[in-house]
Amino acid sequence: MGGSPGGPIDRGQHEVEDWERLADAINAALSGKGLQTTDQHRRAIESLEEYRDLSYYERWVAATEKLLVEKGILTGDEIDERAAEIERRWGGP
Amino acid sequence: MSGHQHEEAGKTTSPYAARIRAIEALLFEKGVLTEPEVQDSISYMETRSPSNGAKLVARAWMDEGFEELLLSDAKAAALQLGIDPEHPAEFIVVKNTTGVHNLIVCTLCSCYPRAILGRPPDWYKSFEYRSRAVREPRAVMREFGFEPPEGVEVLVHDSTADVRYMVLPMRPPGTEDMGEDELAHLVTRDSLVGVNVPS
Amino acid sequence: MTFEPGDRVKVLLSEKPGHVRIPGYLKGKAGWIESLVGEFPNPEELAYGHSGLPVRPLYKVGFRQADLWDDYEGPAEDYLYADVYEHWLEPGEGGPT
Repeated sequence: MGGSPGGPIDRGQHEVEDWERLADAINAALSGKGLQTTDQHRRAIESLEEYRDLSYYERWVAATEKLLVEKGILTGDEIDERAAEIERRWGGP
Repeated sequence: MSGHQHEEAGKTTSPYAARIRAIEALLFEKGVLTEPEVQDSISYMETRSPSNGAKLVARAWMDEGFEELLLSDAKAAALQLGIDPEHPAEFIVVKNTTGVHNLIVCTLCSCYPRAILGRPPDWYKSFEYRSRAVREPRAVMREFGFEPPEGVEVLVHDSTADVRYMVLPMRPPGTEDMGEDELAHLVTRDSLVGVNVPS
Repeated sequence: MTFEPGDRVKVLLSEKPGHVRIPGYLKGKAGWIESLVGEFPNPEELAYGHSGLPVRPLYKVGFRQADLWDDYEGPAEDYLYADVYEHWLEPGEGGPT
C-alpha cells in the first residue's frame, strides 16, 4: 500500500455509527479477555478477500467474525441466522 | 443490547451492522462477554479524544521539564495529566522544530494513538493517505493547506510495529501571554498527526 | 542484539508469505539504525496464536526518501522512519553513519 499511486485525499468525515462503536467495543472487550490479540486481528483483516471493497469498520467486523469462527467460539451459520433475524426486526434489508 | 438505539427503519446501513449486533447477542448468550464489559469499552473509547493530545502539548509548551518527559517517556507524561493509556503499545511523541517537521502514518493498517486521541479521522485510514504520505508527504501536507518553510526537513514516521506516534507541534508565535487552556485550544487533531500546524 | 544506533542496515528482500510487519516499499532498501525501540515477541507469530518468543529487538530505522523513491519531491534531508524487527535486517554497506 505504501508508495502506491493515489488520488486526492477525501477530508470528509462520516458520523461514527453505533454499530461501528460496537465493533470497537467488542474488539476491545475480546482483547481484554485474552480471546484475541491486535496481531491476530490485523492478520485476519489482511487476509480478507474483500479488503478493498469494505469500509474500515466493515473490515473490522469481518475480521472479528473470522477469528471467532476460527477459534470455535461462534459458527458462521449462527451469525448468519441471527443477523438475518435482526435485519427482519429492523424492517428488512 | 448495549448502548444503542435501533437503526432507523429505511436508513441504508451496512450489512455488517446486523452482523456485529448478531455477534454481540451470541457472545452474551454464550457467556463469552457480558453487557457491562462491552458498555465499559464503549465508555472508555468515548473519553479518548484529541483534547487529551492538546493538553499534553499545552503543558509541554509551558513546562520544559514536562516536555522532556513527554519526549522520553510519553506514557508517564500522559499518566501525570491523568490520561491513562492502558494500551500495551509503546507511545512516542516526536517534536517539530525550526529545522524539522514530522508526519505520522500507518501504511500497513492505520495504527493511531487511540488510547490517547480516540478514533482516527476517516482520511487517516484512507488508501490515499496511507499510499501517498510516505512517498509524497509534502504534496499531502499541501492538500491540508500547509507548506513547511524553506530549509525544514520533513520526517515521515510509518508506525509499522506496536509504536503509536504523536507530533509535538511548535508553539505558534505571539502566544506568550496565553494560559495553558487557551494554548490547548490552538492544538488541532490534524497538527498532532502532522498534516499541518496549529495557527 | 546485533545492531547499534548509527549502523548501516538493509531490509531483506524476502517474499515471506502471511502476516508480515514490513511494508513492501522498504524491502531491499538501505538505511541506518536510528535507535532501539525495545525487545518484543514477534508479531508475525503472534498473529497466528503462537507465543512469538523469543523476544527480539525492534529498531527505529531511518531511510533517505531519495533512496526510497526515484521521483521523490523534496530535499535530500527528508527522511522516513519505520519500526523494523531485527529479523528483517542485514548489515548494510559502508561503516556506521
